[in-house]
Amino acid sequence: MSNYSVIGKPIQRIDGYEKVTGAAKFTTDIRLSGMLWGKMLRSPHPHAKILNIDTSKAKKLPGVKAVITSADTLHIKYSNWRRYPHLMDETPLAEDKVRYIGEPVAAVAAIDEDIAEEALGLIEVDYEVLPAVFDPLEAIKDGAPQIHEGPTVKNNISEARHFEFGDVDEAFKKCDRVREDTFYLHPVSHAFLEPTNSVASWDLNGRLTIWTSTQTPYFIQTLLAMVLGIKEGNIRVIKPHVGGGFGGKMELFSDQYCAARLSMLTGKPVKIELDREEVFIATRRRHPMYYTLKTGYMKDGTLVAKEAKVYTDGGAYNAMGPTSLYLSGFFQIFPYTIPNYRYDGFHIYTNKNPSSAMRGFGGPQAEFTCDSQIDMIADDLGMDPAEIRLKNGMKPGHVIPGLAKVGSCGFEECVKKAMESTKWKEKKGKLPMGRGIGMGCYGFMSGGVFNWIDSPYAYSAAYIRMNVDCTVDVYIGSAEIGQGSDTVAAQIAAEVLGVPMEDVKVIRGDTDSCPPDLGAWGSRQTLMTGNAVKMAAEEIKKQLIEVTASLMVPNVVYDFDIKDGRVFIKDRPERGIELAEVVKTAVRAREGQALFGRGIYTPHGKGMVSPAYSFGAQVAEVEVDLETGKVNMIQVTTAHDCGQVINKLGVEGQLEGAFVMGQGYALSENLITDEGKVLNPSLIDYKLMRAPDIPDNFTSLMVETHEPEGPFGAKEAGEGLTNPNAGCIANTIFDAVGVRIKDMPITPEKILKALDEKKKKEGK
Amino acid sequence: MRDFEYIAPKTVKETLDVLDEYQEDCKIIAGGQSLLNILKQGLMAPEYIIDIKNLEELNYIKFDEKDGLKIGATTTHRSVEFSDTIKEHYNVLSEMERHLATVQIRNWGTIGGNLCIADPTGDVAPPLLAMDATVIIANKDGEREVTVLDFGVDYYETVVGPNELLTEIRVPVIPSNTGIAYLKYRIVEGDAPIVGAAVAFTLNEKGACKKARIGMGGVAPIPIRAEKAEKMFEGEKITDTLIEEAAKVASEETTPIPDIVASAEYKKRVIGVYVKRAAKLALTRAEKAAN
Ligand SMILES: Cc1cc2nc3c(=O)[nH]c(=O)nc-3n(C[C@H](O)[C@H](O)[C@H](O)COP(=O)(O)OP(=O)(O)OC[C@H]3O[C@@H](n4cnc5c(N)ncnc54)[C@H](O)[C@@H]3O)c2cc1C
Repeated sequence: MSNYSVIGKPIQRIDGYEKVTGAAKFTTDIRLSGMLWGKMLRSPHPHAKILNIDTSKAKKLPGVKAVITSADTLHIKYSNWRRYPHLMDETPLAEDKVRYIGEPVAAVAAIDEDIAEEALGLIEVDYEVLPAVFDPLEAIKDGAPQIHEGPTVKNNISEARHFEFGDVDEAFKKCDRVREDTFYLHPVSHAFLEPTNSVASWDLNGRLTIWTSTQTPYFIQTLLAMVLGIKEGNIRVIKPHVGGGFGGKMELFSDQYCAARLSMLTGKPVKIELDREEVFIATRRRHPMYYTLKTGYMKDGTLVAKEAKVYTDGGAYNAMGPTSLYLSGFFQIFPYTIPNYRYDGFHIYTNKNPSSAMRGFGGPQAEFTCDSQIDMIADDLGMDPAEIRLKNGMKPGHVIPGLAKVGSCGFEECVKKAMESTKWKEKKGKLPMGRGIGMGCYGFMSGGVFNWIDSPYAYSAAYIRMNVDCTVDVYIGSAEIGQGSDTVAAQIAAEVLGVPMEDVKVIRGDTDSCPPDLGAWGSRQTLMTGNAVKMAAEEIKKQLIEVTASLMVPNVVYDFDIKDGRVFIKDRPERGIELAEVVKTAVRAREGQALFGRGIYTPHGKGMVSPAYSFGAQVAEVEVDLETGKVNMIQVTTAHDCGQVINKLGVEGQLEGAFVMGQGYALSENLITDEGKVLNPSLIDYKLMRAPDIPDNFTSLMVETHEPEGPFGAKEAGEGLTNPNAGCIANTIFDAVGVRIKDMPITPEKILKALDEKKKKEGK
Repeated sequence: MRDFEYIAPKTVKETLDVLDEYQEDCKIIAGGQSLLNILKQGLMAPEYIIDIKNLEELNYIKFDEKDGLKIGATTTHRSVEFSDTIKEHYNVLSEMERHLATVQIRNWGTIGGNLCIADPTGDVAPPLLAMDATVIIANKDGEREVTVLDFGVDYYETVVGPNELLTEIRVPVIPSNTGIAYLKYRIVEGDAPIVGAAVAFTLNEKGACKKARIGMGGVAPIPIRAEKAEKMFEGEKITDTLIEEAAKVASEETTPIPDIVASAEYKKRVIGVYVKRAAKLALTRAEKAAN
């Protein structure tokens, strides 16, 4: 089973050398001759009518080549929601109204950055400022300012999600105990290191090439075609190396549109690069949510019924919000079995920059609340928090009525392994005041079954060409954005075709040469693109085995395998032929055609969410400074079930990176706004964790299961890992100092205040 | 950022002439670590930028047993951090520098620039306050010596006039039997502190406190000393109880400005904790020096 040559091994990233030495080219490195610089004029108001825009002075400024406003667009509303048009609510440039500070109103192309900047100052926009609303609980009230007009939006609720199974009300009645808690989850920024940026170039043949920092080249291609009114085939999207996305680069953005439109108008390449402040104020963020959880349980710790109600601060546009909302409700019942569940989620418009997909896609909010509450339940019952998790944990084959079928599931083993590795039993409840150990758990999707973009293509596809020297070219449309997916694709091809890693070349990030793929979101590429690559490689493998069979004429025709450069009879491995011989013969036999394989993957019969689910358990230890409330992370152990590990180094990197991101979410990051204005739009004031802040010790444990739906049995290892961190840290803090913070982020000041209150209570 | 004219004088004299000529229309740039941010945010739009980074005349660290330490204004954080002279005689400055911002910023940023930007949370001022340091400010007509205590005027404002240049930082010789410590509080490493406390104790031959100095950052519009708390130590045997009490008084001497990271009450409370911790460490060091 695990007799693989490259699968499951710690393989160096195929882009490692380039990235470490700085040779790797990112979009920001692209400079074309005659290139113009574009800049965006942004709204200074959270909510205002646009009465008039006068661009005449800007156009007259020497060096300015074009100025555009919504008048220069086709007025098409767009977003990833092509299949559900009522959710498409954005236009490339504000039409008659602006809805958040930073919303693009106009764009300029000029011969240099300074002139473009100066030109922005010459555009005169007459606004009529409208009353604005910033809190979703205010926005749903009757009489609140209406941010969007239209029949489908009432009280600023753009979408409501409801699901229910079992008999929730009856089940609550039968419970020994019921507890209800409310939580608040704050907004955070993706804070990817490479700002959103693009270079677009329109050519004399009426074709557009755009280099852009994106997670979804195909979405950009198809949506740009729609808003520009040109054919998809006439748009070439090139995705160079990407400096992080985390969900914040999976949609078409105004700056991409404007670069393209300005290039079409000027006939010159146009570069638009957001600065850090623009990234903070005008790109996406993670959804703030008000979360109410009611859970009924028995004295023995069995969870019986749950009701969740969520009001989410969607910001000014839907973006990927409806999916975050849906998935938050869905992951609320992971990884614990709940037979009776009701979810009501509301996506509410506010006058802030749009919330959207961000690593975990609604999961971090769900898991923080779910896992905080399960610890409180354990505390109620005097149970070990690990025991209650094991008692209610999902098992392989679990069915969530109407929503999902879980295939492989190593949850129980994850919890046990994490406990054992951290000496949980010896430490839990026995550490001195100020020091604590706690647990957080999760399950996550390996790619979404969703096709909001309405792509008629397969979800993932791959072409593979094998050359006569046994080198292999893998063409994929998936997006490497730092997570290591290109390396995984190369490993899969290398394993199937029995060639070394260095002989596999991955050609990607170019819609002209690569097949469409839905891209990097929802932890889908290892499973979906991986399956497509495997299918394509197997098609070549089949051809090679046919040729070998005709050369060797063995007893049983197809009982061959390829490994380490040889094609051989499975049961008699000593009998075989060098792969290079076979490939040459095969090419000759096919009148000189290179060997070619094609693969696709689209999930079938896998429920409403995902073809497969990862699982995991995390245990952390912290020290809390009792005088300041500051939390110091001592160690973190995560046991993750990603099915068959494809790249051990990749999984480790993701586990550690995800924790650091979750640590920032839990403890320090916060995109603070006042009246819709972001108060900390810089990396100085927005508190990301840095190298010295991360835990002293990381332990990554991999629990291997075999997922029938995944390539070689693999599942996701990208996002699920972000979901347990905040809950785990909250539980650990509770163990350390006995205070429970339900209002994120868990700042030292909140801890100290809670400690004061606790002392006061105990003093009485 | 608005366009400006860039001037790079070759000598201190030339710099002072240029400053005198342009006055309010110009701004000095040293390492640029703070100024560039301010320009980028459009908070300031000088017509002339006077670059003093290459004034080798102001890049030095000198020490003698009589006058003590002299640091030229354009000496980088990194040079202070690594200077053997400083490690030997003023190790608290080296410790302070090692945890100031990041290596990249320490390589560019200057000690003079740090004082002149007058960010109340800056790391440099509190230990200097604890050591009774002074600075030399020059203009075309001459120079004056000002204590670090009197240097700050208000939030991001100092006594340095538009035609003036800070040229040198002076720290007196540290008396024997002295222990000094600087500790700061921050949520994320590599960040500027939220609050910081520097404590210096000089012990007499009986082991009691001869002199106490407490410098605090981030707890008022300018770096300040906790003078009431200092007095509580002088002449007394320093005990944990005394430290606790004095730390409370020090905390009461502050008037912190709330911001998005922390409330005023929280800063007030945490400075008490840090004065206490720095005092304990300073005491240990002083006792060690006395033995
Ligand atoms: C990301 C980041 C993190 C930081 N973290 C910290 C930290 O943890 N602790 C800390 O203390 N600081 C921190 N800083 C601030 C930094 O250390 C100082 O501000 C910097 O050292 C200032 O020195 P400079 O030479 O770069 O000054 P510049 O930016 O060049 O100038 C600063 C100001 O001083 C004036 N000026 C400079 N030199 C003179 C002179 N000789 N005479 C008169 N006026 C002068 C300038 O006109 C300007 O107004 C941080 C800065 C950044 C960007």
